[in-house]
Amino acid sequence: MIQVNGRNFTWEDGLTVQRLIELKRYIYPHKIVRINDRIIQEEEYGSTLISSGDDVKVIHLMAGG
Amino acid sequence: MKILQKKLELCTQCRVCEMECSRTWFKEEKSEKSRIRIHQDNLLTCTQCGECIKICQVQAIYRDKFGVIKVDRKKCIGCFMCVGFCPERAMFMHNDYAEPFKCVACGKCVQKCPTNAIYILEEAAG
Amino acid sequence: MISDEVRTQSNIISEYRYTTGKIDKGYNNRTLYVNVGTGEIREKPVTQMMKDKLIGGKGFGLWYLWNAVTPETRWDDPENEIVISTGPLGGITQYPGAGKSLVVTISPLTGMPMDSNVGGHFGPLLKFAGFDSIELQGKSEEDVIIFIDGNEGIVKIEKSPLKVSDSHLIGEQMAHVFSENEEDKKNVSVVSTGSAAEHAFMGLLNFTFYDARRKKIRMKQAGRGGTGTVFRNKRIKALVVRFRGVNRGLNNPVNQDILNETGVKMHREIHENDAKQNRMREVGTAGLIEIMNAYDLLPTHNFKYGSHRDASKISSEIFKKMVTQNMPDGCWYGCSLSCAKAVDNFELKTGPYKGEKVLVDGPEYENAAGLGANLGIFDPQYVIEGNFYCDTYGIDTISFATTTAFIMECFENGIINREVTGGLDLKFGNREAALELLHQMGRGEGFGKIAGLGVRRLKQIFIEKYGADPGFLNDIGMEQKGLEYSQYLPKESLAQQGGYGLTNKGPQHDEAWLIFMDMVNNQLPTFEDKAEALHYFPMFRTWFGLNGLCKLPWNDIVPADNKKEADPTKVPGHVRNYVSIFYAVTGIQVDNDEIIRQSERVYNLQRIFNVRMGCGRRVNDRVPYRSQGPVTVEEYESRAERYDGQLLELAGFDPEGKTTAEKMAVLRKYREDQYEKLIDAVYERRGWTNNGIPTIKKLKELGMDLPELLAVVEKLQ
Repeated sequence: MIQVNGRNFTWEDGLTVQRLIELKRYIYPHKIVRINDRIIQEEEYGSTLISSGDDVKVIHLMAGG
Repeated sequence: MKILQKKLELCTQCRVCEMECSRTWFKEEKSEKSRIRIHQDNLLTCTQCGECIKICQVQAIYRDKFGVIKVDRKKCIGCFMCVGFCPERAMFMHNDYAEPFKCVACGKCVQKCPTNAIYILEEAAG
Repeated sequence: MISDEVRTQSNIISEYRYTTGKIDKGYNNRTLYVNVGTGEIREKPVTQMMKDKLIGGKGFGLWYLWNAVTPETRWDDPENEIVISTGPLGGITQYPGAGKSLVVTISPLTGMPMDSNVGGHFGPLLKFAGFDSIELQGKSEEDVIIFIDGNEGIVKIEKSPLKVSDSHLIGEQMAHVFSENEEDKKNVSVVSTGSAAEHAFMGLLNFTFYDARRKKIRMKQAGRGGTGTVFRNKRIKALVVRFRGVNRGLNNPVNQDILNETGVKMHREIHENDAKQNRMREVGTAGLIEIMNAYDLLPTHNFKYGSHRDASKISSEIFKKMVTQNMPDGCWYGCSLSCAKAVDNFELKTGPYKGEKVLVDGPEYENAAGLGANLGIFDPQYVIEGNFYCDTYGIDTISFATTTAFIMECFENGIINREVTGGLDLKFGNREAALELLHQMGRGEGFGKIAGLGVRRLKQIFIEKYGADPGFLNDIGMEQKGLEYSQYLPKESLAQQGGYGLTNKGPQHDEAWLIFMDMVNNQLPTFEDKAEALHYFPMFRTWFGLNGLCKLPWNDIVPADNKKEADPTKVPGHVRNYVSIFYAVTGIQVDNDEIIRQSERVYNLQRIFNVRMGCGRRVNDRVPYRSQGPVTVEEYESRAERYDGQLLELAGFDPEGKTTAEKMAVLRKYREDQYEKLIDAVYERRGWTNNGIPTIKKLKELGMDLPELLAVVEKLQ
């Protein structure tokens, strides 16, 4: 189990940031990803592994509309 | 079509070009008023690409018969969008002036450059 | 085209000469008053109190309107006004989004003050002509036009020479008549509405600007709340301003250098980042369609669902191919965000202009989401066609779409039938029927004429005439305070339910858009967090409307390093820009807190205005259940896993083995209860009583303890 934006999410072996974004269908391009408060750059989404128990934040930067 | 071209490897960043340009157009010797600009290890010059023409809402920017991009100061409303959108960062502004300014390939700086790092290229219009 | 002789021969009803002046630090310090009933035209001073407490824009509009009307004033009374104002920053040409006008009037839909923020060149040109606002009052007995010559200093009311009634033609003809040549058209801006505004309560105002590249008149819309209906009811066919000589310095700012430098910084930021962020320059706001669909937020079938398998047919990739690229599409000078996209040479397939090739401004997100997804019609050509006709007829696409979606759901439920609709088969997905309904609104005929009254009146009619179940209609009719919802599905975000419900003018997302912060990011877990957001964002966004600014350059583009900010959703880098440019123009140094206080003063004025008009209480802030949760079995069951999970986790109710009806009832009780708790928290944060009345203490803190306001709230504390 991991936390994604403060809510439980099932962890799987080899889960990358990229894969998480796909699973959650987070298609909005303009967002900030943090794992345990470390900012992950967009170029690193595919290579950054998420460990079980991690606290992941995918903050969508839109207060718009 | 007249374009100011550069050979960066020959540039010694002596700023003679900036002084000549500034003096020619603004009667002052100030880098911030030059239409050619030494910036870090680059020399910012206009390639006459015309991106700024598309940006301008009031059509104050045009290409003259020599292919040189110019700013019509009578039409310009001083929004400076062209400054922000120039891919070469070669459209300039200075707070003393209401309108932006740019290289018109006059060649004055070329005459003064001690290392021949800049020159005017004349191409058939196309 | 009408000839110039027509105009020169036309009868001048009244004429007023004034001394043109110079703007001082963003203010003319005077307002133009025009009474089309009596022919009176005069100048009124803008007082220091107004500048100190109301700033400009919507603040001025509300203040003039407050002083013009009584609690008994209805929208079509002569004393109702239309006030159009820019603000101190309006008309600057360096910073993106600085050409907005704020329209304020008593709305035919809500019976309360309405404010609508619109682009186009009218506001800035009016300001350069010498006025911070224009107040239009009275009712004419014949069609008139009002012309302001900002260079000669002449204001005229004339008998209207116009034979046409739709805005795209009025705009063109007026620009032709009041300009000397094509080049001169850029100096003219026209405010008008279209033929539908004669009957429909959802009439809008079109504000023109001349597109020098296309050599065409274009229009932006003050869409919400029936401002166009009031305009046409006063029998004003066109309001025209002409000012020659726009340049960068007309606001006479205290510090032009700051404006230049802050502007260039923004232009560069947009140049470097827009293509990676929201692509406003490529597709405008239409880029939101596929995003809202992916997050289950795109209203489909009258807000029943948040996504649809056909949404890709109206995605931004489709519209990108239709809107002309690489155009300087700003609706005022210096707007490098350029979201005002246009479709060129669009051939109309229906209606009175069938076969003509026209320029269509848009489509914006609201058009595509409303006319398209919410009506179940996933056809981009139809969206453009509907967009064009809504605009030129003077119909708010948002109200039209939400009303038509409501009608369609009633039709599919057998509440109304073809007999009622005059034969129109108003099922979801029927594009021909939707367009015909719109054309009927334009002609003021048939069921379209009734539909133009909006959801609130339709509910009454369907209940009284056709025996509809009031409970069901109140659940599915997506209006609050009389105004139709704009096109975001707020069901899964409590904060956004409040973002719509706890607004002054009715459910329009321009006060707060918190869905991602709340539902996706989970940044607002407690009621206090939500209340803080429902204080900060509405106040911050109100500030744009005080100053003549557009909201988009605040957060539809952000600095590349925004993610490093402690509170990136507020876009602190841009807040700093606003602090800088407010100082640069007015010479008044503010900070973020003072920006919020400036807004709070006007926000509370508007709330008290609502109270004065008989609304503005807790009961008026409740919302239709469709905006809060699943009204029907099919809605619940389409997202059963989500709702079942919430029952278990949040409501402490085990859904196992329960019927959908039982589960829906428990979920409803839970969600409605949550909304009441949200109201409590928000009122507390805003300094209002438990019934939503601003407290005297709060008004004193803000320096808004004006006798007129206290007189309204004192007995309600």
